[in-house]
Order: sequence, then C-alpha cells, then structure tokens
Amino acid sequence: MSGMLTLGSLDPAFEAAARVEGEPVVLDLRPVSFVEPAGICGLAALLEFLVPRCEEVDLALSGRDVPAYLERMDFFRHFGGRVKTNADLASLEERQRHNPGTLQELINFHTEEEIPGIIHRISEILENQGYRVRERVAICSVLSEICANAAEHGRSSFGAYAAVQAYHHVVSGTGRRGEEVLIAIADGGPGVRETLSHNPKYAEHTTTDNDALRHAMMMGVSGTGELGRGGGLALVAQISGRAGGSLSLRSGTGRVTAYEDRKNSRNVPFFPGTFVRVSLPRLAQEPPEKSSR
Amino acid sequence: MTEDRSRLVYEVAGGDFGGKLMVTRSTGRAVREALGEALEGLPKDGTLYVDTRGVELMDYSFADEALGVLVSRVAGGEYGDRRLVLVEEDRDMLENIEASLRQRSLAMIRVDEVGGEPGIVGTVPDHLVDTLEEIRTAGSITNADLAKKLGVNHTACNNRATRLAKLGLIHRKVETAAPGGRQYTYERIA
Repeated sequence: MSGMLTLGSLDPAFEAAARVEGEPVVLDLRPVSFVEPAGICGLAALLEFLVPRCEEVDLALSGRDVPAYLERMDFFRHFGGRVKTNADLASLEERQRHNPGTLQELINFHTEEEIPGIIHRISEILENQGYRVRERVAICSVLSEICANAAEHGRSSFGAYAAVQAYHHVVSGTGRRGEEVLIAIADGGPGVRETLSHNPKYAEHTTTDNDALRHAMMMGVSGTGELGRGGGLALVAQISGRAGGSLSLRSGTGRVTAYEDRKNSRNVPFFPGTFVRVSLPRLAQEPPEKSSR
Repeated sequence: MTEDRSRLVYEVAGGDFGGKLMVTRSTGRAVREALGEALEGLPKDGTLYVDTRGVELMDYSFADEALGVLVSRVAGGEYGDRRLVLVEEDRDMLENIEASLRQRSLAMIRVDEVGGEPGIVGTVPDHLVDTLEEIRTAGSITNADLAKKLGVNHTACNNRATRLAKLGLIHRKVETAAPGGRQYTYERIA
C-alpha cells in the first residue's frame, strides 16, 4: 500500500479478498497518508465485497489526518458499524467538519430517483463557493450521467458509492497552479463488458474488457441498443477532455483513460463492478469569484 | 404557460419537475408527459414553444428523454400536425439537446425568444437546408413557387417539403385547386 489511497493501490486487497473464506481480515491502511475520492470509493467497494465474506474486518489506520478525512467524508457513517478500527472515532466526531474542498462526501445510492437530490446539493455547494455557471454545469452534468449509469447498469446489493473533492495544486500536464475537481464512483454491478454484451451488435467489441470500455465511450453505444441511449458517457469524455482533464473507466480486468486527444488502455487486476474517475481541472488563469479552498 | 390561440409557451423550469436543474431520464419522462399533454391540448396545427431558458443544467439523459423522444414522436405523426419549437439561447446547454437529436437524425426549430429569428438544433439533411430557408424567408409559399425558387421540378420540391413536414419543421397544407387538382402550401412554424 502506497502513501496515496487510490483504486490501484487497493488492487492487492481486492485480489486477496477474492480468496477470503470467512476468516477475520485486517485491512492495513497504516502507510496511507492521503486519500482521494477514487480511493475512498474503491475502499467502500472493497468493504462491500469483503464484509459479507468474512467474520470480521479490522481497518488499521495511522495518525490523525487520514482517519479525520475519512470521518469528514462520512466514511464511518456508512461503515462504522460494519468494520472495526483502531482510530478513535469519538474524538474525530468532535472536530470541525467543514472542509470547503469537499464537494460531495461519500454517498451511497441505489436508484435514479436519488440522483436529482445529489445534484441539487452539490450545485448549491458549488454556487456558494463561487463556481461559475459553466463550471457548475460541467461538474453536475458529469456527476449526474455517471450516477445514472451506475443506477441503471450497475445494480448490486450495495448500489454505488460516489465522492467529489476539489484540490488546489499544480494541474498535471499544464505546469500552472489551479484547481482540480475529482469525481469518483464505484458500483458492484455486472461490469461494462457484460452490459454491452447484451447487445449482439457489439459482439466484436466485447472480446476483452478494454475493448468494451473503449467502445462504451463512443456516442450511441449502449447495452439496450435503444435509439438515443449511450450518449452520456461520450459527453462526459468530451466535457473532461475539453477541460484538459480525463475520464478513466475501470471494469473487469480493463482500464481505459480518455483524454481530449487520445485514449490509453491497460490490463489491470480484476475489479468486481465498474469504477469511474473524472478529472476536471480549473486553471488559475480563470479565477473563481471566490476561492473554494 | 402563456397562450396565444394556436401557440402555447411551456416554461420547463416553471414546472414541478426539477426547477433549474434537469437531470435523469425519469425527470425527462415526467417533463415529456407534461409537454405531450400540452401538445394534445393545442388545435390540430398548433405550435408548442418549449422554453428552457430558465433551466441552468440539462444533462444528456434528460435532454434525450424529454426532447429527443418527444421530437421523435412528433416526427412520427403521433401529435398530428402539431409542432414543437425550442426557445433557448445559444449556450452550452444546447450541446446535449443537439447530441440527442443528432443521434436520432432529427431536428427542432430554435428561437432565442418567441417571435425571434429561427435557427436549427439537431441535424437536417444538407439538401433540405435550402428548402427550409426558402420557406422560412417566405413565411408561406406554394409548391409551384418554391420549386421555381429552388430550381427543381414540382415532384422533387414536394418530396423535400414533405420530408421537412415529417420532421416537424414546417406545416404542409393541401388545398383544392381547380380543376380537381391539389395545391400544396408550406408554412414556417416560427
């Protein structure tokens, strides 16, 4: 486990979780010093996978920053009663919860009907933090489309988890200071390849998980084949690409990341479901009406 | 909603569906049903102006379900000769409506405001664009006069205008012409 908790850093844990047969498990997160939305959503998906398979899950954390961040992100609200931890949660609950960079705490949802409420809330937060209409629209459009995909195609016992966080730093690939909004969502559904394989038209594009993921990002590609379907993900890729960011899709043993001008594919360890990570940079040359952090 | 005989303006943000933020297919379905009811309540050649200017966010799923499906049904003749016009400014939100209509090979007439200059959102086959423009400029024109302006024969002209009428972009009226013939007249809808 590296210092940063991402979905990739949890790969060995997912592999090990598949071999668990009821014994107690300790998930050692002590080397983790930083958690991004992808990490917290990945951790939530891992625990949903792991908890039903073992007698007890113990979450080992170190220091105060990571437990405090997990607490602020509502992680323990979802999992506090289902895992044990060495962190002193009582003292964390007394800390100030406000964190202007947090645009959406870890949220669990199951149906499309829950999505408008999620979008209204984040839109209000973005407006209060001085995000312009165009920026709010980009962030909310991305979040609503990927949430809708998870609710429709990623049905599972636990539904899906999403989180959104804004960071101030040097935006990768630009060398300029700015802000980056990271959106992550993980579901426990059948995955992109199986969903697309319901449509015989895409038989040639579902040979591997990476084939399916690349194809799923194209306009009009959907498992149902209904006219008008399959546009959301393509538009998410366009929005993130135009902003200089990326859309990363992970499902099964595939991972495809789309930038404005290219797509990169990698074979990765198996992920049971679908994972989406979107980066939306916001360069400092266009300052917000009010700093968000 | 405001009414002027066969014209009705439906303000999407004014309904009880999502206010400024229109997301998801289920919200889109609810709005489409409301728009469908408004269309059915119009006279048989009436025009419904769908005013989305108060909407701040419309995601693709909503746009496709509320407008893409409805435009498809209008083009399919489900609402007779009733027509739809989008009232929306030229802004980013149009991208999702455009993407939905393009996927469906459909188009809508768009105006910045009721009574404003009409434009197109979606896709109209290249060979029909000039025909639509001539009808828009004329306001109302017979097949014979339109054929003359386009420099095509009457049958070709009628075929083009019929296609535009089926897409829901113009009105097409049939009048009896002596002796025992029929004359087609085409009218802009906005």
